[in-house]
Amino acid sequence: MKRALPYLRRSIQVLSFLFLLYLILETTFPLELKVPVDLYLRLDPFIGIVTILTKKGVILRMLPAFGVLLLVMIFGNFFCGWFCPMGTTIDFFDRILFREKKRTKGFDDQPLRRLRYGVFFFSITAGLMAWQLLYLFDPISLITRTLVISFYPPVIFIFNHLLPQIQGFLPHNPFIVSATPLPLFKVNLFIFVIFVIILALGVIRKRFWCRYLCPLGTLFSIFSRLRILRRSVTDDCTHCQKCVKECPVGAIPEELPLQYRQQDCISCFKCLECPPRAVSFNFVSPIWKAADGVNLSRRYVLGSLAFGFVSALVIKTNPLQTESGLRNNRLIRPPGALPEEKFVSVCSGCGECLKVCPNNALQSALLEAGLAGLYTPRLVPRIGYCEEFCNFCGRVCSTEAIIPLSIEEKRLIQMGVAHIDKTRCIAWDTEKICLVCNEQCSYQAIVGDEKKRPVVKEEKCTGCGICENKCPVDGEAAIIVYASSVQKKLKPEPNSSPNSKG
Amino acid sequence: MGHHPNSKITRRQFIKGAAAAVTLPTLFSNGPFFYGSLAHAAGEADLVIANKGTPSQLLQAAIAPLGGMGRFVKTGQRVVIKANIAWARTPEQACTNNPELFSALIKMCYEAGAKRVAIWDHTCDNYQFTFSRSGLKEAAQKAGADIFSGHGRNVYKQVEVPKGKKLKTAEVLRDVLEADVFINFPIPKHHFATELTLGLKNLIGIVWDMELLHKIDLHQCIADINTVRKPDLVVVDAIRILTTNGPKGPGKTEDIGEVITSTDIVAADAYAATFFKHPKTGKPFKPEEIKFVKNAYELGLGEINLSKVRVKKVSAT
Repeated sequence: MKRALPYLRRSIQVLSFLFLLYLILETTFPLELKVPVDLYLRLDPFIGIVTILTKKGVILRMLPAFGVLLLVMIFGNFFCGWFCPMGTTIDFFDRILFREKKRTKGFDDQPLRRLRYGVFFFSITAGLMAWQLLYLFDPISLITRTLVISFYPPVIFIFNHLLPQIQGFLPHNPFIVSATPLPLFKVNLFIFVIFVIILALGVIRKRFWCRYLCPLGTLFSIFSRLRILRRSVTDDCTHCQKCVKECPVGAIPEELPLQYRQQDCISCFKCLECPPRAVSFNFVSPIWKAADGVNLSRRYVLGSLAFGFVSALVIKTNPLQTESGLRNNRLIRPPGALPEEKFVSVCSGCGECLKVCPNNALQSALLEAGLAGLYTPRLVPRIGYCEEFCNFCGRVCSTEAIIPLSIEEKRLIQMGVAHIDKTRCIAWDTEKICLVCNEQCSYQAIVGDEKKRPVVKEEKCTGCGICENKCPVDGEAAIIVYASSVQKKLKPEPNSSPNSKG
Repeated sequence: MGHHPNSKITRRQFIKGAAAAVTLPTLFSNGPFFYGSLAHAAGEADLVIANKGTPSQLLQAAIAPLGGMGRFVKTGQRVVIKANIAWARTPEQACTNNPELFSALIKMCYEAGAKRVAIWDHTCDNYQFTFSRSGLKEAAQKAGADIFSGHGRNVYKQVEVPKGKKLKTAEVLRDVLEADVFINFPIPKHHFATELTLGLKNLIGIVWDMELLHKIDLHQCIADINTVRKPDLVVVDAIRILTTNGPKGPGKTEDIGEVITSTDIVAADAYAATFFKHPKTGKPFKPEEIKFVKNAYELGLGEINLSKVRVKKVSAT
């Protein structure tokens, strides 16, 4: 049994990662999976806590995350070692590619071990100031985003290239299937580089990210101090140091293998492989006190709190984040998005909406929305338009930064308004008949005048961008959607009955 | 660069052969006598209008006078149907084909011995939404046909358009070019830019770069693209048509309750155009008033004057 545990853990890790992959692949039309596709994000209490702070309200979808926190108080930090898909990825690459450097001397990681507490406190105060750092530090958001933005497009690319070969093997189908539209994301390289850097940190220390940076792990650490399932060592211990070396998170001090730092332990049970069988795990009453805790001085804690506070203020007073004239009017938010300031402070940048968008219309912002708006979704009509009968982005948003709407509600949300550039429009500029925009418009917001030239009816336009997307003018379209400063609700059609006879 | 000593074909023989190769097929297939007699031998009419009945009855009634489906689809052949599934609209809104008629058409092809039937459209809205909302994916799958969307460039083939006046080259669905039997299955609708969308315009949906055609000259391009592959059969779905806010709707609809079949696409369009009223005069459209129909007629794609076509009206019940 004890020997099987490491294999069991590894299998569960792999299964958990594959399950995340499966959920991401299922984050697509028709979105009918019984399990929420953003399950992992909903189980992430760091997102749960920070978004409560930034939104100043409870997000129902994030409630299961607190259940996880409760489990952590019983079993210790089991999540990092058994289920975290980011941890699994890091474990995998630590093993095959970024091996820890061999050292002759011991590695004093006291200052580094404080770092993640610093990051954590920083995030919490910044969160109180409505600047969330989820998009930078939350591991679940990070792995989801990386998979969606950096790795999903290459997979489709390969699939499309292999398609002719694959189809050759299908005997009874003489028809060629269309290639899957290649999803395009401008920030893919940037996100990929960050991901590789995080993995490469494993060269310095195994699971560097988890031990010294990850704020979710820190949160679990703090709560797992109270854990009930604890390690105990009998006097049979021979100080062979096997458990010290095996421990993937360095929770067992070299000098004192009888003790362990329960807050760092990820409950992987590797230390159960003890030659004299001195180690066991038992349920005991919780004690806050921990052996050899992190050396968190008051100065350090207050320093990181203050630093978070000031940084948040600086970000908030950045002209792109305030109601200044610098606001990017091409920054169209998905339908149902919260007002800009709130949206930026609640969106965790996980990329689920980017994945689910059937037309690849949602793109990750780099700096268009300011520093705090990194990775937030924006509608780029020239790449894709907002599909009329789709409300998927709101349905997969775990933090409800995009409010889930019914199709009918969504069809009345005005994200922006289209404007015609008459000097470039084919119909206005030449004698030709075009009116592609009128033909494509789902909401009859573009009408033709007596010379068959398009005119936009602002009161009907939702800013879905299908006109800009399909405009046959080269390069930038001749009809362009500009964002509404606040998303408006349009009046429904008086006679919207589809079967009115005439 | 001398002659090969063993070359068996002399120049004279070659010219003779070439002349024969050019003239003989012309004589036997395109010669005025043969063309007329062959085409007419199979059916008693060139344009059949069926009314009064369920969609499948209408189709049965409309195909029979043409000579039955067996005239078009032979055993073991591959059939491609260009339907109109362009928009994410429900069947009642009449922006896409009638699902019942659609499955009746597929079934009829299979009954005639088709090996495989494929439905194609290059949809305007996202294909997943158009396929599901129009109910046509379900209908196709139930009837045993494959339904495909042309959203990937890999399913197109670059072709020359030698007879095209303005459109010289286009990327066209490969399956349409390679199919044994090609059926054009339009639904007539109002269309703001071109007045109406009919069978000829339906073929825009076999082109990759649809929007680009507007930049050249839409009406002429519609006619030009129809020279690439003439449909073997045109089935016009006029059970319910969209009379305003076309082509995407939703708008006013009118229940015509007719199915029109023809081998002549221009004639079929010329007839279908009369369902609609001219916005200025208020009278039914004359075929010549639809520019692309006129252009197609001028390209010799068919007969615009219905009095020169053998029209037959049948009642399905």
